[in-house]
Amino acid sequence: MMDAAAIPWWIWPIALFAVSFAIGIVAVLAGVGGGVLFVPIVGSLFPFHVDFVRGAGLLFALAGTLSAGPPLLRAGMASLRLVMPLALVGSMASFAGALVGLSLASEVVNTSLGILIVTIAILIWRSRAADAQSVEADPLGALLRLEGEFHDPAAGVRIDWRTQRTLLGLASFAAIGFIGGVFGLGAGFANVPALNLLMSAPLKVAVGSSGLLISVVNSSAAWVYIQRGALLPLIAVPAILGVMLGSRIGARLLGTTPAAVVRQLVIVVMLVAGLRALTKGLGLWT
Amino acid sequence: MDLIKNEAELREIYARWLDRATKAGFAISLVAFLVYVTGLVPAFLPPSELPRYWMLPVDQFVAATGAPQQWAWLHFLRYSDVLNVGAVALLALVTPACYARLLPKLLAQRDWLQLALACAQVLVLAVAASGLLAGRG
Repeated sequence: MMDAAAIPWWIWPIALFAVSFAIGIVAVLAGVGGGVLFVPIVGSLFPFHVDFVRGAGLLFALAGTLSAGPPLLRAGMASLRLVMPLALVGSMASFAGALVGLSLASEVVNTSLGILIVTIAILIWRSRAADAQSVEADPLGALLRLEGEFHDPAAGVRIDWRTQRTLLGLASFAAIGFIGGVFGLGAGFANVPALNLLMSAPLKVAVGSSGLLISVVNSSAAWVYIQRGALLPLIAVPAILGVMLGSRIGARLLGTTPAAVVRQLVIVVMLVAGLRALTKGLGLWT
Repeated sequence: MDLIKNEAELREIYARWLDRATKAGFAISLVAFLVYVTGLVPAFLPPSELPRYWMLPVDQFVAATGAPQQWAWLHFLRYSDVLNVGAVALLALVTPACYARLLPKLLAQRDWLQLALACAQVLVLAVAASGLLAGRG
């Protein structure tokens, strides 16, 4: 294998921009958050320590979701009412996760990351979305008034929605936030099923609100990495710019690309990257 | 019906602020990055030296390079790499700024529950940003 130290420094940000650009396209087409690809791929293929990769990963996911937020809010796909209580719990947990994550040895992080990414790849492969159904709100959901109205222009229908299993939903977002903080992930892979399958939010509202949730939750964990010095601009900025551009291209290709094929490709890439992180963590292939 | 109307108003305010703040944050990040990689302004740790350190865990990296932690980076903004940290940190300030903008509207709507949630969120993000609980530094 080529010695990373022999490569001129400027090659790395260019390569990082290219990889982030590709991830930005693929993540949109496959309907997964980019962070779940960025951290294992960059952690495996680039010479940076996983601390800096996680710091960049949080900013990577944050940048993508901040950028996507305004159109999602204006289309009514992201619900502030739904996001606020979940983001509050998630951001506290994410902050704690970031503190824990930075205190772990890199072998532990890589091994756990590898297991997590392989598990997520299997979950994405197995997951199915639930159709919107009219449900009765549970008492906590009714108290928090987690309900809304969504006009779906594609289906030409208006959906009145409310949530179920709200307490379990809050607990789930605490767990998701914690894991996101530990590993520097956006955790969109878990947000959408939690909102859609567990809490019964319509799929499009779940997808839109997940992006807004990530932008709030990651802001809290990102500060831990920034304050601890785990933010290297040479890694973070090309990643941010690459994903922003790639996401826009991905959104344009969305109507013409076979999403199922891209999704299968993403699962394969995640399995490879996850196994690479696992072997790195276990010291089998460093 | 008020619930739907109030939510739509809040979403529009949040979207407007999010849009402006994010665009400004990205523009500043891009300019700061170009200044950094082109060497127009000296860096605390020049990019050509980074490959010697970026494989280290963050604590060892900080010990080896003397890179500033917590808010100490504010004193080193004359260096282009630290300026970049500040520019990227602006992105992490976008969400609390948007939430803070919602507070007067929630107060006007007398939506006490949402107001309490928004205040708590601003507080959590302020504590995170303060670095008070961020550990070593």
